[in-house]
Amino acid sequence: MPFTITMGDSFTSTGAGVKILLPNYADYFKVWNVTQLALQPATGVVVQAEWFGSKFGLGATAANDGIRYKKNGTTPFGLQVDTFANNVSPNATSNGFTYVATNPVVEPQNAAVITSITQANGAVVSQTAHGYSNGDIIQFYGTTGMLQIAGMNFQISSVSANAYTLLGLDSSGFASAATAGFTRRISKYLAVDPQFLYITDISRAIQAVVTFSVDPSLYYVVGMKMHFSIPYSFGMTEMNQLTGTILSVNAATYEVTVDINSSAFTAFAFPLSSASPTAQLFATIAPAGASTRRDPNTFVETGYNFQYQAFHTGQFVPYIFLSGGAQSPAGASGDIINWMAYKLEN
Amino acid sequence: MSFPTGITSINNMAPELPVQAAEDLLSTPMFNLIHSFGVDLHHAESYIGKTTRMSRFERLSTDGGQLDGSGIDPASEVPVRTDIDATMEIYAKSIVTNEQVILWENSKTYSKFTALLGQWLREKEDLLMRDLFSSSVSYINCTGGTNGDQPSNISLNDVNNIETILLNNDARTMLVSIDAMDKFGTGPTRDSFIALASTNLTNDLQKVQGVLLKNAYPSQEGLRPEDYCQISRFRFFVSSKGAKTPGISLNGRTVYTIPMYGLEAAAKIEQNSYTAVIGSRPAWVVSSVAQNSQLYAKFAIARAITNQNWISGLNCTTFNPS
Repeated sequence: MPFTITMGDSFTSTGAGVKILLPNYADYFKVWNVTQLALQPATGVVVQAEWFGSKFGLGATAANDGIRYKKNGTTPFGLQVDTFANNVSPNATSNGFTYVATNPVVEPQNAAVITSITQANGAVVSQTAHGYSNGDIIQFYGTTGMLQIAGMNFQISSVSANAYTLLGLDSSGFASAATAGFTRRISKYLAVDPQFLYITDISRAIQAVVTFSVDPSLYYVVGMKMHFSIPYSFGMTEMNQLTGTILSVNAATYEVTVDINSSAFTAFAFPLSSASPTAQLFATIAPAGASTRRDPNTFVETGYNFQYQAFHTGQFVPYIFLSGGAQSPAGASGDIINWMAYKLEN
Repeated sequence: MSFPTGITSINNMAPELPVQAAEDLLSTPMFNLIHSFGVDLHHAESYIGKTTRMSRFERLSTDGGQLDGSGIDPASEVPVRTDIDATMEIYAKSIVTNEQVILWENSKTYSKFTALLGQWLREKEDLLMRDLFSSSVSYINCTGGTNGDQPSNISLNDVNNIETILLNNDARTMLVSIDAMDKFGTGPTRDSFIALASTNLTNDLQKVQGVLLKNAYPSQEGLRPEDYCQISRFRFFVSSKGAKTPGISLNGRTVYTIPMYGLEAAAKIEQNSYTAVIGSRPAWVVSSVAQNSQLYAKFAIARAITNQNWISGLNCTTFNPS
């Protein structure tokens, strides 16, 4: 059966996952870690990996899997061959390829178990060998003890081997810590942008400061308008169905300031975990256009940013996601990765 | 990829190839196209860029305005204009046809493939509009159902909540009422907003308090096949491709998203001079030995939520796991 190589390129790994867009689809995908190929062996380091698409029938690769060729650590150029999902001693499971061809729901890594979420401003999640990277967006569900966030998406930061921080969540006022739950990584962008975002806090101020579960600067800029949807269970019902214009965006704190005076509003607060499942969820904003503003002193106009404010495709599909890390297809920081996408001619 | 013959004994031997056979063409399955007909259609001019701008002036303040005889004019007001922008994008699909297909199949091959491409065009457009609804609108979780999940299965109270939101925001219904008639088992429908749901929800929709199923409308004249029922001020249209996200409910079930909206809530923008192009490339262009020809379809579309005040919706799960 003839193959056609449709695309190929190389990149320098940052250690994080890499998304490669495949406008011509792919039936077979292969990577080579040309940096590690030439080095002395380090057990488990992946130097080549392969993915097989659905045309291979029963031989197709499952999500987050693939065939890995890894250093065996015993001879200079010795290799072991198995799958990323293999977890038989002396091997260990590592993340592989995930091919995504349809919207919505992208990059659905297998459900991963968490062991706790702390009560803190910048809640800390404990999750053994999660494999996530800084900036990844994680969807939570079944968060025992913190059911009020079950179903929400959060961007993660301060990633360590077994933990990470939810910068956009101040859970210090929650009744209890989460003691169990599940996560999976999803795409940073939904099918269409600008997209709706989850609100985690709104200040009471002349110009309200709104905190989100993700970095809003990925999706919104100054001058764009936000339409608020605040269910009664979140307290600040006065904000419900209002539309405000963004005055500033703070990527470091996941906050935006809007031209809505909330100083006399009821305080914003998450419902109790014990109120689930009857508490109405979630507090969100949705894009509501933009208004151009011109500062007569500086002659600067804001509100025209066609890259952000125009509705457009958020996540191009299909693509293949290469997990990052020395034992995964996208390699460790500094590794040169060659890749090729193939297509069957039928 | 190998193809087993399937013939392992005399009992399952395939028939011999027919020397001549008449072909009765069967239907190609097509899902209900529900995500476009409730939106406004706009057109983008050619040669002026790929971003289309739609603008709305917000209402003027009704505060004050009375002249008190002092000769002082009330302050003028600067109108506020909201701009909704949408980027034009192009989508395409092609089919390569080998000359042997033309030679040995019947003469309708191109007609059939052209019809397939036309169907793809409408289906793709429908899914693009669905993606707009599922990405760029705020939804509220159903809580009135009894399945113990978050969100719950759909209930009348949940539907009424959305009606209140839309009415509070001065949204206008888009479907006219159907007057009552002297027929047993029927009831009048109210003028309605539109709700778009997955076909997986029909079992639960039938159980919502006060539901008026389609067969109980006083008249069936002019109803769309996708029309399923009326609940409160919403007419529900269903499709097997309705928006859903697997495994994100509290209990790990699929969550279904139901956009619910009135007039001028969303827009589909077509590109002048570029909408629904279907064409072909002859074999001598595509193939060095003139054996492969190509049919293609392409279209340009931009999409936008034009007024968030007039669109809302529900997230729900099903009563029985799905």
